[in-house]
Amino acid sequence: MFNEMYQSESVIRNHYNNINEWLEKMTAKVINEKNAEAETHFRNIGITFSTNSETARERIIPFDLIPRIFTFSEWSKLEKGVIQRAKALNAFLADIYNQGEIIKANIIPKELIYKKKSYEVSMFGFIPPRSIYSPIVGIDLVRTNHNEYFVLEDNCRTPSGVSYMLENREIMMRMFPDLFHTNRVTPIDDYPTRLLQTLMSLAPIKCNTSEPVCVLLTPGPLNSAYYEHSFLSDQMGIEMVESTDLFVEGEFLYMKTVDGPKKVDVVYRRIDDDFLDPLCFNPNSVIGIPGIMDVYRTGGVNICSAPGAGIADDKAIYIYVPEMIKFYLGEQPILENVQTWSCDKNDDLNYVLDNLSDLVVKEVDGSGGYGMLIGPKSSKSSIEEFRRKLSANPRGYIAQPLLDLSFSPTLIKNQVEGRRVDLRPFCLMGENAQLSSGGLTRVAMNEGSFVVNSSQGGGVKDTWVLAE
Amino acid sequence: MLSRTAEYLYWISRYMERAETNARLLDVGYRMSLFPNPNGYNNEWESVLAAAGAIQGYKNKYNIIEQKKVEDYLFFDEDNPSSVFNCILNARSNALVVRTSFTPESWLAINKTYQEILKLKNNNFDASDLPNLTEWTIEQVNLFRGSLSSLLRNDGYNFLYLGLFVERADNSARLLDVKYFVLLPKPQYIGGNIDNMQWSILLRSLSSFNAFRWAYDGNVTSTKIADFLVLNSDCPRSLSFCIQNIVKHLTNLTCSPEKVNKIYNTLKDLNTKIQEEKIESIVDFGLHEFVTQFINKISSVDSDIQMEFFN
Repeated sequence: MFNEMYQSESVIRNHYNNINEWLEKMTAKVINEKNAEAETHFRNIGITFSTNSETARERIIPFDLIPRIFTFSEWSKLEKGVIQRAKALNAFLADIYNQGEIIKANIIPKELIYKKKSYEVSMFGFIPPRSIYSPIVGIDLVRTNHNEYFVLEDNCRTPSGVSYMLENREIMMRMFPDLFHTNRVTPIDDYPTRLLQTLMSLAPIKCNTSEPVCVLLTPGPLNSAYYEHSFLSDQMGIEMVESTDLFVEGEFLYMKTVDGPKKVDVVYRRIDDDFLDPLCFNPNSVIGIPGIMDVYRTGGVNICSAPGAGIADDKAIYIYVPEMIKFYLGEQPILENVQTWSCDKNDDLNYVLDNLSDLVVKEVDGSGGYGMLIGPKSSKSSIEEFRRKLSANPRGYIAQPLLDLSFSPTLIKNQVEGRRVDLRPFCLMGENAQLSSGGLTRVAMNEGSFVVNSSQGGGVKDTWVLAE
Repeated sequence: MLSRTAEYLYWISRYMERAETNARLLDVGYRMSLFPNPNGYNNEWESVLAAAGAIQGYKNKYNIIEQKKVEDYLFFDEDNPSSVFNCILNARSNALVVRTSFTPESWLAINKTYQEILKLKNNNFDASDLPNLTEWTIEQVNLFRGSLSSLLRNDGYNFLYLGLFVERADNSARLLDVKYFVLLPKPQYIGGNIDNMQWSILLRSLSSFNAFRWAYDGNVTSTKIADFLVLNSDCPRSLSFCIQNIVKHLTNLTCSPEKVNKIYNTLKDLNTKIQEEKIESIVDFGLHEFVTQFINKISSVDSDIQMEFFN
């Protein structure tokens, strides 16, 4: 096991010294007060997510006061690795929607791509501005040792969580200003500006102004990431629109304003492909902008991320990302993939069935930490249940070894204890490729737990990158 | 500004204003229930329901009219679309959508109100708590209004205030009407002591009693009170004041001058009339008839605003 704060059992790593002193001085009373203050703050600003639970209308994610710290050199490696991956994923998308070289080179079997629902046929032969399909890539990482990181999954559609990254920092600076005097923490509050610059750098060909009009398209207040949508549009100073605010006329997309129609150049969409255009995708969709795909394909508007970008973060495609990096960039992958068995291959399936109690089994289309089996932590009966599910539908599952996620010091009932964490940094791909100077650290608050998802008792932490 | 944003801002103000009116109405009922009634029958709660436009909904739910039930229906009941609870809930879900179009303080004011009313709703309350609930509501609405003072004076600001004054014009008119039409169905009471006493309660519930005293000397008479609440443009709840402000915020809009003009033309006559009219001639004409016309006019202004700007 690897604890990010400790060099060895009793030696604290240098960059955690300040935090350790700070922790030693903190009394239970202060901890309680600060926890209450953080909770009130999060409730007041409304950074909540809706749940299906009957008891609470809205929940907030538990926030841990102890920051997670990366040194400059640790982060530099991550930065290179994540940007490399984001470039390869975009190159992959450009390839499979055009020549399909990676298939011709027999690196990825074609049925893994063309038969997928997330492969968007209407994108074939079209190249979006700068050939960027996924301008915001969220990479989920875990750390298992000093110098060992694994990518758990890629998020190429509309990764969320960046509002937590920013708000966690905001509350930390408000509650513990002294910490920021004694530690040189790289600021992250320019992220929204960088995001806007990225979007503006992706204006469509028919846009003839140097300041394209960008909007954020949200499904509406019932969406669990709605706070993030309004937060980001506010920080970027752009309109947050719903699809009913937009309409197509002639070659362009417009929004309805009190002044009359206003042309829109770039849509940062936070809705799924299916709901973009009822003429092109789901004809039964009541949300969506009829005709937007025509405008998009003829260069009247850009849609970020591009429809069909989701194929790149498919769990079956994940296996091939290291190959992609070599194929498109001619580089060695900086970040490692987790070894993955795809159960649709007979050999893999047999291996998985024989070793169920040592493996983590995930649904190919699952998310949120649901529908998965953590073999070493599961009872015999749930293992047997998964064995039946797997045999019935091997295509629906992949399996991975259980990674020993790193521990981060966490306040549990006013005591510092180690809890497992992961990390999602956000990579922006526009005129420049750049990584956020921080990310969202999720922490499994339950003792011994490997599940960091907020829907299952996960919390969040502020994530620091120390300046050089 | 997005049409939908303008619409939501307009409705946030309307809901907040309506929450206040309903809380004040409950206070009217509460005060009247403490006085002996000429009929020996407590009909004040029925009048309060009528004034809130909630009588049908209430009767669908309950067979008898009693204080506790009326209070619950008007304050907390989620089945009543205009209950204080629902007004705050609606204002808050609209605010969630347009929080980026007003100040963080305005969002906080509404969101905190929402958090607190969720707690209040879970506590069992007692009839004697009612004045506290009313006071709490007024305080919360004032917090929201105060937060608007730091807003940029743009169209969003004007839509917020259009909503406020359209709602208030309608509410004030309805309160007046209830006073004449419902509270005193029998003409012989008009001008009597009970009549004046009920007028005074109305003034108090509009927190205008002291203001009235400052504005008028001598006896409290129904004519003076009617003048105060209809024509006196110094009184922030009078019909005259509301109309003036609707005109002001409408003509301050910088978007779509032709739409503004169109609506202004339909309002112009009413505005001129109410500035020049004498209370005696309104009473001769019939206050109820006057108020009914007024309510209809406001309602058509409201639908013009919605059609021209929000569609």
